[in-house]
Amino acid sequence: MTSRRVLSFVFAWLVLLVGLPVRAETPDVALAKLIDEARAAAAVPGACEQPGLDRLVRIFCDGKIRVGVREYYPLFGTREGQNRLGYDVDVAREIAKHLGVEPAFTRVNAASRIPLLADDKIDLTIATMGHNTQRDGQVRFIRPHYYRSETIIVGPKELAIKGWPDIASRTICVSIGNGSNAQIVSQNARLMLFDEAGVLPDRLRDETCVLAAQDDSFFDYYFTEPAFAKAYDRKFGFAQLPWGMAVALTGSDRLARALDLMSQIFHRDGIFLEVAKQNRIGLGFLELQRTVWNRPDCNTDTGSTNPACVLPALSAVLQPTPFAGQVTAFETWLEKHTGISVQFPMFKTMPAWQLFKAGIANSLVLVVGALGATLLFAMVLGALQSSHSLLLRWPARALTIILQSSPVVLTLVISAAVALALFPYSSAVAIGAAIVALGLMNGANAGQAIGEAMHTLQTERGGAPAPTVELFGRAVSRSATQIVSFLVNAAKGTPIASFIGAPELLSALTDITSFASGRASTYSLLLVFYVCVVMVVVWLCDKLRIWLERRQTVTA
Amino acid sequence: MNKISPDFVPQLLAGMVVNFEIAAIALLIGLAVGGLLTLAKLAGGVRGAVATTLIGLMRAAPTFVVMFFLLNIIPSDATLFGVPVAPSGIMTVALSLVPYAAAYVADNGGEALRQLRDGSPLGALLFLPNVTRAFFVLVMSSSAGAAIGVPEGIAVILREAELMPTLGDKMVLFAIGILCFGITLQAGFALMRLLQRHLGRLALRTREG
Repeated sequence: MTSRRVLSFVFAWLVLLVGLPVRAETPDVALAKLIDEARAAAAVPGACEQPGLDRLVRIFCDGKIRVGVREYYPLFGTREGQNRLGYDVDVAREIAKHLGVEPAFTRVNAASRIPLLADDKIDLTIATMGHNTQRDGQVRFIRPHYYRSETIIVGPKELAIKGWPDIASRTICVSIGNGSNAQIVSQNARLMLFDEAGVLPDRLRDETCVLAAQDDSFFDYYFTEPAFAKAYDRKFGFAQLPWGMAVALTGSDRLARALDLMSQIFHRDGIFLEVAKQNRIGLGFLELQRTVWNRPDCNTDTGSTNPACVLPALSAVLQPTPFAGQVTAFETWLEKHTGISVQFPMFKTMPAWQLFKAGIANSLVLVVGALGATLLFAMVLGALQSSHSLLLRWPARALTIILQSSPVVLTLVISAAVALALFPYSSAVAIGAAIVALGLMNGANAGQAIGEAMHTLQTERGGAPAPTVELFGRAVSRSATQIVSFLVNAAKGTPIASFIGAPELLSALTDITSFASGRASTYSLLLVFYVCVVMVVVWLCDKLRIWLERRQTVTA
Repeated sequence: MNKISPDFVPQLLAGMVVNFEIAAIALLIGLAVGGLLTLAKLAGGVRGAVATTLIGLMRAAPTFVVMFFLLNIIPSDATLFGVPVAPSGIMTVALSLVPYAAAYVADNGGEALRQLRDGSPLGALLFLPNVTRAFFVLVMSSSAGAAIGVPEGIAVILREAELMPTLGDKMVLFAIGILCFGITLQAGFALMRLLQRHLGRLALRTREG
């Protein structure tokens, strides 16, 4: 009986042992083991001369780690003589210290930070690099991420802007190619594009821009300037992008693993946080990460692969159109046979293609609407200005003078301001406001011409007979040239509707070029489109003029 | 009513000077290009046909689109024989107005030359008030520069309006803008009428003499 009880106890103990999960190793133990192994491998005589050495072993062979850092990115990577400063630089120093080697810095920029890894010129890049799915195929990112930036909207302190609803129909200055531009566009904001982010603070200061959008890491530096911080503030942030240190895809397995573990430890122990404080950069993300990496489920040697602990890469791949391949093939063919390099980004990705199609449709709606509104206002204001009643005639004349005295952009803005006071912002409201403004501006001038024609007809009839429909018809026919000229003017003016956020083709193409390449060919296409549209309008208006003039001859 | 910045009126006036500057540049280049096109058109043949086509295209090109085209087609670091040639914002707006100005000058210049050949110097002299009219149209059109950050008059008004909380406050600013531009425009048209009258008297005296 006793032996049976002992056997049962042993069996139960074994079952318990097997059933219990294996206690996870801490990242510290795993890292120490990895470093010891690599050091030992490097200490073997002749091992350092072996080809295909893992980069971690080679770092111990050389006694240094080659790190690519930026030199012109304030607060993250700058250089004053031989002295390198910034968060990225200090992180590299901490890594080198942890490995017990010296850091050897190499200057990199946005274009060279990946090729230099692939060419084995550097072991590690710490260079403000956002981690997106596209780059996953080019380098091995270190997880957890060492920092996270987001795009922030910056503007004058007195401007009350709290979120996206306050952004609609406003102009925001951005740099071309910024990944978050597409998101700003989707919120019905207008973009003013600049080649370099570096000019944005100056454009805010000289009031060219009221609002600017760029990475918080970029603006962090300017907010350290008392004058800038006094005048401007951060309105809100969006489009968070995790930043990753990265190593080469091949030959860096052990180095990558060591850096993963080190990154975990740096977050958990607040080393990243301390370095960030010393460099006066934003701490929000690092404080959150410190909490995450102190959680028992994350503070293990497998934490860096646990989806509950690490952040996903940003999905940066835009869905291609079904005919993107043919478009690229055509671009290549054209360049090969003519030497002309053109790009058609509007045909290559679905978001761009949708914007392009909507832009063309909205442009045509605007042209038709502006022509209709011009004719309508011309008839109404022409009739009012032909009236015998002073109460009708003078207000119409006053309105005409005001409209003639207001520059086109101002009239559009006034129309949009009134429309937005009556309706919530939408593309349809912006297009409607533009149609009314263009119709009023051109219709007032055409109406004046009708009124003057009516006056001459009345004079010819020896006095001032009461205006009749027949007489009004003749006045319209007599002022045919003027009406046609203002109709053409209305059609030519439609692209300016983009100024108040109407999503016509100019607006759509500006949006497309803010996140895609091929500006020259895109704007050339735009010019061709509008010249063709205006020529068609001129042709149609000419037909209208001939019809009106014939009508005048018949009724004379 | 929110207080209008004390700098507003001086800035607006300085902005309007920019509008005049843009219009003057556009008209000068337009006179040169339009003059050449007129001569080419009157010469007839292939040159005339090319000039007529060019004038038609220039007439059809929307200023706002031309402005964005120029802004995006010329790299900001463009050089010619080592000399930077990328136009400034003001120059970009002025160049975008050149197609309109040149087409207008070509149309009216052709008519003036015809009048001169037909022995009507008065008819030919109408070219001057017409050019004055074009100048004021260009001043008003130069407000398009606000879209690319050129600090002209309308840009100043819109910048100030951004800080106004209510529609009423904004409307006051817009009214000031219309008044300033309106006075300029009406003064321009009055000048044009005076010029026309003076030329009329001059022609009459010449005929009587």
